[in-house]
Amino acid sequence: MKLSQAGEARVRGYLFVLHRSLASFMPTDTARDSIREVESHIRERVAQVDGVVDEKAALEKILAHLGTPMKVAQAYAAEITFDEAVATGRPLPVFRALWMASTTVRGFFVAMALLVGYALGAGLIAVAALKPIFPQNVGLILRDGIPVALGAMFPLPPGSEAAGGYGLILVCLLLGAAALMVTHRMARAFVAWWRTRLKGPTEE
Amino acid sequence: MTLENWQEQLRRGGLEFAVLLTLTGSPRYGFEIIRHLEESTDLVVNEGTVYPLLSRLAGQGVLLTEWVADEGPHPRKYYRLTRSGRERLETMMQHWETFAGKINALAREARGGAR
Repeated sequence: MKLSQAGEARVRGYLFVLHRSLASFMPTDTARDSIREVESHIRERVAQVDGVVDEKAALEKILAHLGTPMKVAQAYAAEITFDEAVATGRPLPVFRALWMASTTVRGFFVAMALLVGYALGAGLIAVAALKPIFPQNVGLILRDGIPVALGAMFPLPPGSEAAGGYGLILVCLLLGAAALMVTHRMARAFVAWWRTRLKGPTEE
Repeated sequence: MTLENWQEQLRRGGLEFAVLLTLTGSPRYGFEIIRHLEESTDLVVNEGTVYPLLSRLAGQGVLLTEWVADEGPHPRKYYRLTRSGRERLETMMQHWETFAGKINALAREARGGAR
């Protein structure tokens, strides 16, 4: 079957949407290569259609069998980004996968919760690192003897003091490392679950 | 887990293995791989899931790719197994034979017990 102008426009439209989806998480060259391959597939399928047929129906059937651009993009995301995150567990691929998952409502709230966990861990480690440098400004901040914060204040407000000796360094280091480890474990578990969801049932 | 979900899990797990098995001979391009799988299995439900899988396997160094432009009316991307891909496939085949053998033995035993 040779495509009419309308058929060509439909194929170009499909590839355009797919390219936009892929380019949001893939290097440009990889996205272009994937588009070229999907186009090759569509043209192979079109060439296989013999005789006089309803072009629109035949083309829609081919594209439906391939999956919507969003579904195909999700499959690429699941195979490449999420697979790397699950397989390696390295922070960068996990963060990239979380970033992608955060485009949905559920993913956004989970990513926010995980961000709080990471920030807490990083904050505690920062307190441990800053305490020996600024012992008067870093620690458990007391105002009139009542604890109001754990961290650093420059300068300390009148009537305030940074309590906690150097033992605080060890406590913050341990708590910070634990917070980071637990959060990252949860992030990996979430990414693994999300990957299963993305690869999910392939039937339309 | 529903029966459909179980079948889906089986299909998903088997697709990568089947793709690698398809490439044990000469190199094949994506559409050719899909056609071969469609003729010999029911693993391909959505064709759009095969290309990402091929892309990942190529990224992992299991497959080598090459675009051939002058063969058909449009360029085709050919895939072939690398040395590490063949090793991986060999390991997968051994695992599969052991796994399938045990499950088949259980199924035979269950059938025998049911009579």
